[in-house]
Amino acid sequence: MKNTRILIGAIILAAVLAVALGGPVVVENVLFPDESPTSRGSYRPYQLASSEHPIGTDGDGRDGLAVFVASITPSLAIGLIAGLVSTGLGVALGFIAGYAEGRLDTLLRILIDMILVIPTLPLLLMLAVYIERWDLYKLALILGLFGWAFVARVIRPQVQSLRERSYVDLARLSGESTPEIIFLELLPPLLPYIVYVLSLAVVGAMLAEAGLQIIGLGAGGLPTLGFMIAKGFREGVIGVGLLGQMFLPAGALIVVFLGLNLINTGLDQIFNPRLQTTIEGE
Amino acid sequence: MLTEERQGIEAPEVAARRETVRYLWRRFGIYLFTLWAAFTVAFFVFRMVPGDPMTILLGQLSRAEGQLNPEEAEVVIARYREIFGLDEPLYKQYVVYLGNTFLRGLDFGPSFVAYPTPTRDLIVQRLPWTVGIFTTSVLIAWLAGTGLGALMGWLHRRRMTGLAVALSTLMQITPVYLVALGLIIYVGYVLRWLPPGGPYAAHLQPAWSWEFISSLLLHAVLPMLSVILTLGAGFTLGMRALMVSVLGEDYLTFAKAKGISPLTILRDYAFRNALIPQITGLAIILGATLNGIFIVEVLFQLPGLGTLFVQAMGLRDFNTMQGVVLFSIFAVLTLTLIVDLALPLLDPRIRNTG
Repeated sequence: MKNTRILIGAIILAAVLAVALGGPVVVENVLFPDESPTSRGSYRPYQLASSEHPIGTDGDGRDGLAVFVASITPSLAIGLIAGLVSTGLGVALGFIAGYAEGRLDTLLRILIDMILVIPTLPLLLMLAVYIERWDLYKLALILGLFGWAFVARVIRPQVQSLRERSYVDLARLSGESTPEIIFLELLPPLLPYIVYVLSLAVVGAMLAEAGLQIIGLGAGGLPTLGFMIAKGFREGVIGVGLLGQMFLPAGALIVVFLGLNLINTGLDQIFNPRLQTTIEGE
Repeated sequence: MLTEERQGIEAPEVAARRETVRYLWRRFGIYLFTLWAAFTVAFFVFRMVPGDPMTILLGQLSRAEGQLNPEEAEVVIARYREIFGLDEPLYKQYVVYLGNTFLRGLDFGPSFVAYPTPTRDLIVQRLPWTVGIFTTSVLIAWLAGTGLGALMGWLHRRRMTGLAVALSTLMQITPVYLVALGLIIYVGYVLRWLPPGGPYAAHLQPAWSWEFISSLLLHAVLPMLSVILTLGAGFTLGMRALMVSVLGEDYLTFAKAKGISPLTILRDYAFRNALIPQITGLAIILGATLNGIFIVEVLFQLPGLGTLFVQAMGLRDFNTMQGVVLFSIFAVLTLTLIVDLALPLLDPRIRNTG
């Protein structure tokens, strides 16, 4: 059961990735050879769906479908980079807190709990005001810096419980140094769990990114799926009848979340044997 | 020494009460510390970001009142710097701000753009909207989600339950703003069943009349529904998982063997035990929920705190933005504290472990 979930999730993500990477090439070469469908003013704006423009053209006179397929990669890239940043930071701090005892642990725990409960959106929006030119890495980095607390929160107890295992005691007695214990004994068994946390972090970052685009960044935003949705909403594409330009990017986001969620629940079942026995046991 | 000796012969209830009091103080101490730390971080983040709010303000003034000549501009800026205390060294500004905020009842200073209206007044004006939507939808979502989740956990072997779980999962992974957009577009514009945005019908004035109140409520349905659907789905799934794992516990098998009726087992054994983590779950999502509600407010054009923030952002009204951020931090931390302090009342185990 757990394997089918992970498998289906992986297939969904692979399909999205294929569209993200192959889509722009196919659309530009097959549908619009010798044209630039994503440049402003290439076509008459707000054209309804036709055989020429499968989901119509947007307010800037670009082909909707071409814009859509080109928007997927930046969305995924921001999610992945931000997810990696927050997972990296969170794992490092979670390991420090979990491995250290006493005051340092208490201090880090309070810090983690503090950051967890702060509503981050206003802070992110505020940064958005002061950063004049957004680029993909800047946005991803900032989202990552805001997302590490929950990673640290879930890694810490895992490290704490592993640290007490007898094989770790054995390693300590046989003279392994602390870095050796951390990197050779504690990190490897936690790697699958870290992957699980990473995919949660990616979801969180993509969610925040799209939300931020929808209310905050405005025209200075990056060409992501969230931006396409926000732009469509602002320009009222639904009223004109261009449903595809809203539903396609929204659907793509939901499909990505679904794929990651399937992988997550699959991995969760592996880490929560209790969940499994009770489901089969009742 | 004496106290330790006395503790040894204390009745267990007294010791337990002492533990509870210790837990409450500890929790309150962490609350104060977190509040101060979050405040400090937010203050310095606001001061460190590049771009002087005064330059931006000057741009706005000259746009509003025609071209100012440089000398006049200097005078205006100096006056404003004095009013807002920006000439003082940073640490002094920090101390003054800290004092005003905590000792003078969340006095965040005057708004830059709506000067001399205090930022606090702007926040208080907008507060009922955010608080109304927040409390109503969080409460409904939590109650409905907990009830549904308990039911789904109890009936987890039925086929219908599988479908319900799949639906809730789909709902839960959909971000609240996409649900909101979907409702605005489909229910608001396509079906035209409910108003797609705005606080109340445009031709009405706030009044204690049935016409106004019904319009207000009708306009509140969709924003609340978007929060309730996503949040409620999360609570449903959480409660279901908790129920399923409680159902595997030995004491339930024992209760069943004793011949206790299934309904009593559900209510007194399974539900009650699954409820405590579910309440902790409520405390954790409060901050994230406020994020979502800010976005929902903007999408539905409701004049709440989120909209105030976005408007202030457009006008670069630095003081108002800072006030909204600090106020939300204060609100979320306080609500989390209340939930946490209520926990020992419900769970005797927490009292003893502290």
